Parts: sequence; C-alpha cells; structure tokens
Amino acid sequence: MTLLLFCLLFPLFGALILLFVPSWNYKLIRSVALYISLGTFLLSLLLWIQFDNSTGKFQFMQSFALVEHAAKQPEYSSLTFIIGIDGISLFFIILTTFLIPVCILVGWKSIIVYVKEYCIAFLVLESLMICFFSVLDLLLFYVFFESVLIPMFIIIGIWGSRERKIRAAYQFFLYTLFGSVLMLLAILLIYFQSGTTDLQILYTTLFSETREILLWLFFFASFAVKVPMVPVHIWLPEAHVEAPTAGSVILAGIMLKLGTYGFLRLSLPFFPYACIYFTPLIYTMSVIAIIYTSLTTLRQVDLKKIIAYSSVAHMNFITIGLFTLNTQGVEGSVMLMLSHGIVSPALFLLVGVLYDRHKTRLLRYYAGCGRTMPLFAIMFLFFTMANLSLPGTSSFIGEFLVLTGLFQTNTFVAVLATTGTILGAAYALWLCNRVIYGIGKVYYINCFSDLTRREFFMFLPFVILVLWMGLQPEPFLNSLHSSIGNVVNHPFWK
Amino acid sequence: MFSDFQNELHYNQLYPDFGFNTVLFENDFKGIFPELFLVLTILLLLVYGVILSTSKEKKYPLLIGNIGWLGLLGIFLTFVLLIKNPLSDGLIFYNTLIIDQETQFFKIIALGGSFFSILISLDYMKKEGLNGFEIIILTLLSTASILFLISSADFISMYLAIEFQSLCFYVMAGSKRDSEFSTEAGLKYFLLGAFSSGLLLFGCSLIYGFTGITNFTELGKLFTPGGQELVTGLYSLRGCELGMIFILVGLLFKLTAVPFHMWAPDVYEGAPTSITAFFSITPKISILAVFIRVFLEGFYDLMIDWQTILIFSAFFSMILGAVAALSQNKIKRLLAYSSIGHVGYLLVGLCCGTIEGIQGLLIYLVVYVLMTINIFGIVLFPLRREFINSVHRIKYTTDLGMMAKTNPVLAFTLTVSMFSIAGIPPLAGFYSKAFLFFATLSSNLYLLAVIGVLTSVVSCFYYIRVVKIMYFENPKNWLSFSQIPKESALVVGISFFFILFFVFYPSPLYLATHKVALFLSL
Repeated sequence: MTLLLFCLLFPLFGALILLFVPSWNYKLIRSVALYISLGTFLLSLLLWIQFDNSTGKFQFMQSFALVEHAAKQPEYSSLTFIIGIDGISLFFIILTTFLIPVCILVGWKSIIVYVKEYCIAFLVLESLMICFFSVLDLLLFYVFFESVLIPMFIIIGIWGSRERKIRAAYQFFLYTLFGSVLMLLAILLIYFQSGTTDLQILYTTLFSETREILLWLFFFASFAVKVPMVPVHIWLPEAHVEAPTAGSVILAGIMLKLGTYGFLRLSLPFFPYACIYFTPLIYTMSVIAIIYTSLTTLRQVDLKKIIAYSSVAHMNFITIGLFTLNTQGVEGSVMLMLSHGIVSPALFLLVGVLYDRHKTRLLRYYAGCGRTMPLFAIMFLFFTMANLSLPGTSSFIGEFLVLTGLFQTNTFVAVLATTGTILGAAYALWLCNRVIYGIGKVYYINCFSDLTRREFFMFLPFVILVLWMGLQPEPFLNSLHSSIGNVVNHPFWK
Repeated sequence: MFSDFQNELHYNQLYPDFGFNTVLFENDFKGIFPELFLVLTILLLLVYGVILSTSKEKKYPLLIGNIGWLGLLGIFLTFVLLIKNPLSDGLIFYNTLIIDQETQFFKIIALGGSFFSILISLDYMKKEGLNGFEIIILTLLSTASILFLISSADFISMYLAIEFQSLCFYVMAGSKRDSEFSTEAGLKYFLLGAFSSGLLLFGCSLIYGFTGITNFTELGKLFTPGGQELVTGLYSLRGCELGMIFILVGLLFKLTAVPFHMWAPDVYEGAPTSITAFFSITPKISILAVFIRVFLEGFYDLMIDWQTILIFSAFFSMILGAVAALSQNKIKRLLAYSSIGHVGYLLVGLCCGTIEGIQGLLIYLVVYVLMTINIFGIVLFPLRREFINSVHRIKYTTDLGMMAKTNPVLAFTLTVSMFSIAGIPPLAGFYSKAFLFFATLSSNLYLLAVIGVLTSVVSCFYYIRVVKIMYFENPKNWLSFSQIPKESALVVGISFFFILFFVFYPSPLYLATHKVALFLSL
C-alpha cells in the first residue's frame, strides 16, 4: 500500500468512523473530523517530502484491476483503478487536504444542524477529489470529475443560506452535468478507438486531426463549464453566493481547478494539433471573460459575488497561460491556480466572518470595519492585495510567469490580458475601500467583534503560504519543472 | 468411436427434426424442471388457499401473508433448481423450448425480480386490504409464464407464453376492485394488451404463411444470404418483412416503447403500487429476452429493417421519457415515464446488434431492475395515518417532503438511487449507461449516443427534483411515516449496497453478461 493510497483512503476511513458516532455528540464528531483531515494533510505533506523532483514520471503508482481476467477480455483490459501523481497533481492534492480542515474549522460554530452529515460530506468530498487528482484512467477520471457533484449539491442545498440556494444547486448541477456528458461521449470514443483508457498509454496515442478537433471540443464543453469560461459562467456566482462558507472555499479552491487541471492533464497532451488550432478561441474567450467579469465585478452589491466574479477573471487568466504552450506560461498558470486556490478561499472565509457576525453580505451595510475590527481589516487588506497580485504575494509569481509566456506567443493578447490586472486592482481596491475604510454604519450594524482566536489561526497558514509562495517559489517550481516539461515538450510543438 | 457416430446417425434418422443437443424426449422434463416445480407449487398453493380460506372452523382466515411466504419459498426453490439443473443446454419439447446460457441468465434475473417485488409488497397488500391471496397466485403464475417465455424458441410457444403472462397481468392490474383507478387500469391494459397480442399473432401468422416455419433457429437459417430463393422465387421476402414488423410492433407494445406507450402511465398509476412495482420490473425482462431471441436469432439477417425501426423507437422513447416526466406530480406516473425512457436506453443496446450492445443491454437491465426495486421498496412503504386504521400512501412527489428529517436513512437511500438512475457516477447506473453508450459508439450509432446523453441530462431534472423535495423543501403539512417493514428494509438495503458499491467490484456482472453476450452472438 503506497502512501498515496493511504492518503486517499484515510478520509473515507474517517467518514466511516463518524457514521458510528451518535449525532448528538457533535463535539466529538467535529473534532474527529478535524483530526482526520489534519492527518490527511500531514500525509499529503509526506507525499511531497518523498516526491522525486528529478523525474516527470508518475510516482506512487498503484493499480487494481476492477474487472479481472483482463487477458481473456481485451476490451476491459483498461478498466483498472490506477493512481499515481506527478508534479502537477501533487500540489493539487496538497491544496485539497489543506483546505478541508479549514472547511471543518469554519463550520465549527456556524454549522449547528446536521453536524455529522456536514463532516461526512466533506471527508467524502476530500477523498473523491484526491482520487480525481491522482487517477490515471480516463473513465475513472470522468467518474471522479462528476462524482464530486453529489456531495457539493448536497452541501449547497442543505447548508446554504437562502431560499435561492435550491436554484443555485440546480444550476450548478445541471450546467456541469450538461458539459460533462459530452466529455463522456468523447471518452467513450477514445476508448473505442484505442481500446484502452489508461492515460499513460493514451499519451502515446495519435488521433486524426479532424477527430482531435471534435474530441477537443467535447472535452472543452465540459472543462469550459467547470473553469468557467464566459458564456457558461452563470452557475458560478449563483453557487458561490448561496453556498455556505466552507462550500465556497471548496468551490473556489478546488472545484474551479478541476477544469484547468483537465486541460492540463488531458487536452494539452492528447490533442496537440487541436490545441494549436483552438488557441485563438481560448485566447478570445478568456480575454473577453477577463475584461467582462472584471467590469461586472464593479457593479455587484453582494460581497461574495464580487469575489466570485474575480475568481472567474483569474481562472481565465489561467486558461490563457495554459494555452501559451511554453514552459513559463504553463508553470505560471499552475502557480496561479495554486495561489488562487489559497487567496480566493481566504477571501471567502473573510466574507464568511462578516456574514457570521451580521448575517448579511450586502455591501451597503458595511463600512469602517477597520475601526472596529482591526485584525479583520489587516487580513482583508492583505488578501485583497494578494488577489490583485501585488509583487511579493503568490499571485504575482503566477501572473508574471503567465504574462512572460504570453508575450512570447501573442503580444496583442498579452496587452489585453494585462488590462485585466488594472481592472482587477480597480475592483479589489474599491471593495477594500468600502468595507474597511470610512465611518461605520452604526445604524445598520451595532455590535462588532473582531476575529476570534480560532479564526485568526485559521487565516494564519493562508498568510504564510501566500508570502512563502510569493517570496520563495523555488520549492514549488522545482517539483513542477520536469512534469510540465513533459507536457510542453510535445514532439508536435517542436 | 465409430459406434458412437453410428448411434448418432441412427438417432438423426429416427428423429430428423431434433436439433443439436437433444437425444431423447425423456430428457425434456429435466429441462423444464424449475418451471414444472413452480407450476406444481402454484397449484398446491391454490388448492391450499381455496380450502383454508373458506373453512368455517378456521374462521375464514386471510391467507395473503401465509401464501405469500410460501410462494416466496417456492420461488426460492425454483431458483435453486434452476441453478442446479444438470441439463443446461438444449432444445426441448420438439424444438419449442430452448435452454441455454441466455435463458439461464434471464431466468435468474426474472426470478430475482419477482422474488424481491413480492417481498416488498407483502406488507403493502396486507395493510392496503388486498386480501385475496389470488394476487400472489397470479404473480407466481405470471412468473412461471415469464420463465416459459424466456425459454421459448418457437412462435407458438412464444405467443402462448406471452398471452399467459398478459392474462395474469390484466387481472392483477384490476385487482383492487373498490378503486376506480384500478379497474380502469385493468380495462385499459386488457384492451391494449389484447390489441398488441393480436398484432403479434398476425405477424406470426404472416411469417408462418410465407415461410411455413415457426421456429426461430430455422427462420434464421432461411434468411441467411444463402437462402436467396425467398427473394427470387416466391417474392415472399416482403411478406416476411411485414410479418416481422407486426411482431416488432407487438413486442414494442408490451415493452411500452414510444409510439406504443400510451397505456403505460395510466396503468402504472391506476394499478395498486405493489402491482406497479411488479409491472415495471418483470415483463421487461421476459420481453427483452424473447426480443433478443427473435431478432438476433430469427431475423438477424433482416437487421437493416428492424434496426431502423428500433432506432426510431429508442430515440423517441428516450426523448419522451425525459421530457414527459418533467411535468409529473404523481410519483407513480413519474416512474412510469422514467421507465419508458429506460426502455429507450435498453432498446439502444438492442439496436447495436453487436456483442457489446447485448452486453450493455444486459448490464443495464440488471442495474435497472435493482434500482427500480430499490425505489419501489421505498415508495411502497406506509406513509401517514390520518385515522387509526387508514394508511395513506406516497402519491405525490411532494409527499416525500422533508423525509430527510423524519427518515434520514431512507431519504439517503432514495437519494442515492435517484442519482444512480439519473446516471451520475460513481453509482451503478452510470456504469450501465456508459457501457451502453460505448456499444452505441462502437457500432456507429452516433446520433443515438448523443441523444442518449442529452436526455439523461434532461431526466436529471426530475430525478433530482425528488432529492430536492426530500432535502431542501419545507412541506406545507408534515407527514409522519410509520416504520418500514423488515422485509422491505432488507431488499432496499441489498439493492442500495449494490448501487453504491458496484464501483468497487463490477467484474462479476461484466463477466457474466459478457459470457451470455458472446454465447448469443456466436
């Protein structure tokens, strides 16, 4: 049993234990869930320690045949549960395991109904997402891509805040499902053509150019919804606004990464021709998304929606970076994914802090938090700065690398994308201004409390990570180099 | 060695009509031993029931529970006999019945399906006041007829078995005599069923009239490219095709596939729920078995013709199943339309006509049966008591409101099976659909695959609406649920575990279905 498998089964094991704890004993439940998820986090850190940076191969490989007698039945030879990680998936797994304890901590006081189910849902979700990032079989990739929908649907629907949550859960579910069934068809078509769904074999498979284009489009339909690209991004603000804080953390931190991770893992290496063919499409859609959503952010009144739209802008920056198809661009976008996976959840947590105290997320009720909640104000300012990629924070590294890569391939798009940074600064500073500065509107809100100790320690790792990644990105980039080199040095692109 | 050969020659001269494995007529009864046992059990139970229920000393006891359990025992023993039957391959009774791996597989599913559906409906029937033990007898009789239908290898035996089955069903649908819905359902079912049987019979007689053949295997031999005399000589290929189309229509009627689906929602709604559960599970198994037998063995070489019709039917079944159920408020109608949609998916597997197609169909069938049992097991359970002795049942989907608070485990089970029947991974329903679409793509039916996945997204709407009602909606009046009976709990639990944990070990089902599919196509 490799470490990876252990890491994957540990949360499931925890969920199983929780099933047998009576649900009135919520204190025990949430502490068990917290310890289990922290344990998983430590295990995933061990993964990083044991990770061999010098190779782009998959490590910690393990496989189980789901259908036996493969030799007798060539058509099922591929239906195996293969897991293994390379530099790219390593960090996503760590990000997942890092965010889940936070999710459980954030619901420490605010979740009072269905505590047991809450913890179980998050632990199962964690296990599914680790599976998603480590699985090396195309069909199972789809399975885990989709199966995170069920816990997320329930999380939004049950612990969400308002009546509109049902609509949001529906939208989230159906948009994603609609996108991804086309991917299922594409996967079956690949299976039918090549006779296998093993990713490592498929990396060496060549498709005809027309088929590549078709398959790329089918995959794109699914990933574009998840990313989200502009015409199909509507589900995201809805889902974010209605989700509980922990749900938003997971949505922004990991769910959005599923799409870009899919691009990186499948679209780029599988369809090198189609990737070049569709680069203008991606550039156009992403640039439109960056500018459009940045401008849309300016006119939102809901705090969560503002951050959600800024997430859309960042994610589209990432897709541009992926399709630069050179090392700087792709590495930059992976860094940006990681940094967005830290910064954006932190912002959602901050909004959650406000919401927990005052039960509103509307911007007009808030002002002057700097006077009454100084710690909160510091955190808010810090993460807003990180969000607009101030040099020294993690986002800057990512954005800088993406723009470096982009200037090599397409200067015009690079210029347009750079305007996104300016617009990003515009809405982020505007938001900061309105929440922190000014005179408190005491006729709306008349009791204040600053961050509690639990909340402060919840934010501390985020701050450390942002600064670490911003000032010393070497450890991250070192583990990424060889894996991304594998993707980018495709023979077709040389 | 030589004498063996001579023996065989001798037998062939003596019994020229016998097919491959049959040696002597005396072995035939071994071949139908399970059916024989079941029929005798039923007769015994009938006599027992009639005598006991009219006995004055015993104060006219209600025998539904007693006969039900004895019947279940009978089915179980039939199942054992079926598995342990030494004669597992052969044509019997003068080539009218066949037993092979396919019949074995389908019979196992059918017996399992009817076993489970009787088990979940025992408590329902007792509480609902369906006191006549004849319902159990009829259910068992239709199970016997299903067994015969699965192993029929001849138009005559097929038709007789279908009629046997349908007659039981008509009576069962109208069995709740004090309910207008039930009597109406029985009448409707009878009229349309008799009509479709007429079409089927007309098709059979056309085939017989033009070819003089009633046996599937011989029919298949006639249509092989060698048998060109049909085309050139008698101009009767057109006639055969016409007959085939009538047979197809008749069978599609029985399957509730789309242009011939109109009776299904009414019958499903009107019939008592326990009967509906039985209807939506077992006839599909038997009709599909005979469908495969007739069209992949008898009419395989006319595939171009029937494939087109089936594609049409599957296409519209999927669309109607997805769209029409969107606007249903009653849970039984919703399930009826959803079963129409699932028939569409099953037909997709049949359209392919390849090994993968058949295998996909079989996997889908098994998973579908288990999911349906699971859902009906929950729908059947007693809902609320307005008066002391009246039990209300789940009728509207909104009746499930806030089940998540009152019965969290049941609600979770129903959620899982709804997600599964909608085809969301990693549940069993997804795997069956994925395999089916794989088969569809590999036989180049791209349009069907695209429509299939799109309709599965649309149908998600109404499956998930049930989940929404259970989890997120606050009902106007809170309903209290009484306890689920133990036997239902067992069935629901088993099927739930199958649905949830199929992912971890799909191998047995894949291998079994693959074996059957290979056997069929060779």
